[in-house]
Amino acid sequence: MGTPVKDIVIPDNAQKTLLLQKHADYIAAYGAKKDDYEYCITEYLRMSGMYWGLTAMDLMKQVDRMNKEEVLRFIQQCQHECGGVSASIGHDPHLLYTLSAIQILTMYDALDMVNTEKVVEFVVSLQQEDGSFYGDKWGEVDTRFSFCAIACLALLNKLNAIDVDRAVEFVLTCMNFDGGFGCRPGSETHSGQVYCCVGMLAITGRLHHVNADLLGWWLCERQLPSGGLNGRPEKLPDVCYSWWVLASLKIIGKLHWIDKDKLIQFILASQDEETGGFADRPGDMVDPFHTLFGIAGLSLLGEERIKPVNPVFCMSEEVIQRAGIRVELL
Amino acid sequence: MHGRLKVKTTAQQEEAKRKEREQKLKLYTAATSGAFKKRLNGEFDEEGLKLTGEILSVNPDFYSLWNYRKEIFLFMKDNKETEFVQKLMQDELGFLESCLKVNPKSYGAWHHRSFILENMPLPDWERELQLCNTFLEYDERNFHCWDYRRFVVLTSDVDLEQELAYTTEKIQTNFSNYSSWHYRSKLLPVIFPDPTHPVRVQEDILLQEHETVQNAIFTDPDDQSAWFYHRWLLGRGRKKLQISCVHASRKTNQILVLLTNYIQVNHGHQLSVNINSSPVTGEWRNVTGTNSYSIIWILTVKDGFPGGEDLSIGVTLLTESDCTQFSQGLQLAEGQDEAWTMASYKAGTRFSIELSAAASSTMEKELEAIQELHSVEPENKWVLLTLLYLMKAIDPVHEKYQDDITEAIEKLTAVDSKRKAFYRDLKSKFMMEKILDVQDVNTRDMTLSGLDLTSLCHTEWMVLVQELDVSQNHLTSLKPLGNLPCLVVLIANNNDIDSVEGLQHCKQLKKLHLQKNALRTVQAFSTLSSLPLEDVNVSGNPLCNIENYTEALKAILPTLAPS
Repeated sequence: MGTPVKDIVIPDNAQKTLLLQKHADYIAAYGAKKDDYEYCITEYLRMSGMYWGLTAMDLMKQVDRMNKEEVLRFIQQCQHECGGVSASIGHDPHLLYTLSAIQILTMYDALDMVNTEKVVEFVVSLQQEDGSFYGDKWGEVDTRFSFCAIACLALLNKLNAIDVDRAVEFVLTCMNFDGGFGCRPGSETHSGQVYCCVGMLAITGRLHHVNADLLGWWLCERQLPSGGLNGRPEKLPDVCYSWWVLASLKIIGKLHWIDKDKLIQFILASQDEETGGFADRPGDMVDPFHTLFGIAGLSLLGEERIKPVNPVFCMSEEVIQRAGIRVELL
Repeated sequence: MHGRLKVKTTAQQEEAKRKEREQKLKLYTAATSGAFKKRLNGEFDEEGLKLTGEILSVNPDFYSLWNYRKEIFLFMKDNKETEFVQKLMQDELGFLESCLKVNPKSYGAWHHRSFILENMPLPDWERELQLCNTFLEYDERNFHCWDYRRFVVLTSDVDLEQELAYTTEKIQTNFSNYSSWHYRSKLLPVIFPDPTHPVRVQEDILLQEHETVQNAIFTDPDDQSAWFYHRWLLGRGRKKLQISCVHASRKTNQILVLLTNYIQVNHGHQLSVNINSSPVTGEWRNVTGTNSYSIIWILTVKDGFPGGEDLSIGVTLLTESDCTQFSQGLQLAEGQDEAWTMASYKAGTRFSIELSAAASSTMEKELEAIQELHSVEPENKWVLLTLLYLMKAIDPVHEKYQDDITEAIEKLTAVDSKRKAFYRDLKSKFMMEKILDVQDVNTRDMTLSGLDLTSLCHTEWMVLVQELDVSQNHLTSLKPLGNLPCLVVLIANNNDIDSVEGLQHCKQLKKLHLQKNALRTVQAFSTLSSLPLEDVNVSGNPLCNIENYTEALKAILPTLAPS
């Protein structure tokens, strides 16, 4: 009797120390080869890819190694007439990439590189009657976009441009029996969506709607015997959940409910000592996405060589404070 | 980006792979620039579909190309015969199905499919439901497919009881059915609604559901989905919004109100006060001095309370959405410094809504069944945790089950040690609920020492407390004590407290003992500089290693009595 627990086993020879310099070198070199296959086919998320790399470098205190001018020029070319920003030049504007662009510009203290008023207009135009947000004019609704909209406006200090009450109301209709949140009303709870909704509620000062005990329990149950965290029940552990789950726990005041040492062990084991960078789990291929979330997760767990990270925005606390943004956590 | 194994290859294999990718990339880049070029030229034709189709079948997350495809379909819809459009869109559904077979988790592909269904002259919703059945056979946890299913069900008005039956079938044939249980939790309140019930489902249906879950639990006690769902069935919902306590103090010139739920004054709710039938003006603030959502609200009476007479104070809470009101009166006699009224709750109901008789007996039967399961599976943490919740639901003040509760928590901490912090906090919560539930509501002096507390909760119920002893516990934070604006004495020796954050809201605090804790800096106390602190003891903390720490502390806290 008994369903076996889906998990991985950390190999004995797994990496046990943080190879910070190797990760910085990996990110610094990433994207240098503009004709790399992997790099090219991920052009559709380039703006987010840049945000992942730059934020990782900032957290590792080496962002000066990146080409600031090139980044700013790129962003400028990605803002469209409607105010929205696209993933790359010639691609279509979307809330996801608009947020990534604003995050990068905030880090570089260069918000004047885009027309921020138009950005606000773009975000406002996407809010629907029920408070939800389309990702773009084609009408996909997802609580990820609620987070993108609210976080974007918060960074621009223009939260009140949208109907905050309705936006909150919509997110609450996505709350489930387990205290968590899904993409849309009726959708199953998923750690990524939990992070988006909890982050959004934190920014709007409505965390009292969250049942912290219930959700915190669901979140701490993401931790598997290997020490890694999964995204929802009966899924494999993945380093990116070291961010989505951990940041959510931090926001609701229950970070101490997971076993810190075991999680650190899992994250460190997911490093690639050859190439630098983090993969989703030990033995897999690395990428900038998992590298950022591995670094950010370690920061939340207290790694002193990494800058403190803000659990709502996934940007260094230093940048968030400098921007004058204060979000109360539970 | 996920689940790609790093495979070691030889230099020769690397080179072959590199060449192959170079070729692939050449074709890919050509198709991409071709597609973008056509789009910029305003060419919305089948060649556009062909080009974008090549790319999207290997890269279905290339969202801008799905957008171009949508533009082509909209153009066709506006410019071609209905039959042609229908055929084209049917083909698109076939194309999408092959994309989804390769990549069943692409947001872009699923959204595009709903776009086609919404724009098709003759959509075949039954076929779409079948498609969902097929994809859920491959992967019962594919949330994209479940969401698409819900879209189909909603748009084409599929019978919800049929959907409920689908989830029953899934649950009975499979393990790993969290998604099905979740869908049930959404269907039941719609098919069998009861808006007065805390779980919003008709009680008799819920009781049946208990049986369904029990079957699952007994078939496989390790099936966590069923246990999560079971927890929902035990949930007892929210309290009605009411005033629990009104407190008036001539000393602070304040009226304090404790509610049962969080509100924001002047944003959906209003709080108004009159004294001897005259309305009182002033700004309502929460304990932190802002007007963000709070459960405790404080009004500073401008010009103070009228002297020389008995006062009849009336507080009214108005809910704007439905104009319901709740009022509470309080008498403050001429010579009285302070007065208050605190609502009484039937024992065991303050933190959970009472179980109905039917629900009670179901809980008892279930407890028996789960106890039986426990004897067969003594190390199963889901069983242990559920026993805990059942016992707490049946016996909120631990009259009958105190020892069993303690034992279950100890066992849980042993068999599921990664989550021991959660179990310890749960134990603390149960303990505090029991104490708060049993003690006199007018208690102003509380001793919570030596109770193994790792956290303080429900502190809003301690809003009247003036003296509190939480010594000899395992507390790390005092933040929850920000809810105690009447606090004058706090003894918190022998804990693991590393911050005084929260105490800055205890504006009447005079005596603060924090011996043997984990406080590292004197600077941390600067947030308390405006408190009337006279007696502060921090011996036995790491900060005592700082030279002249007592002087430094006196410099920060001007009201400290000379030693």
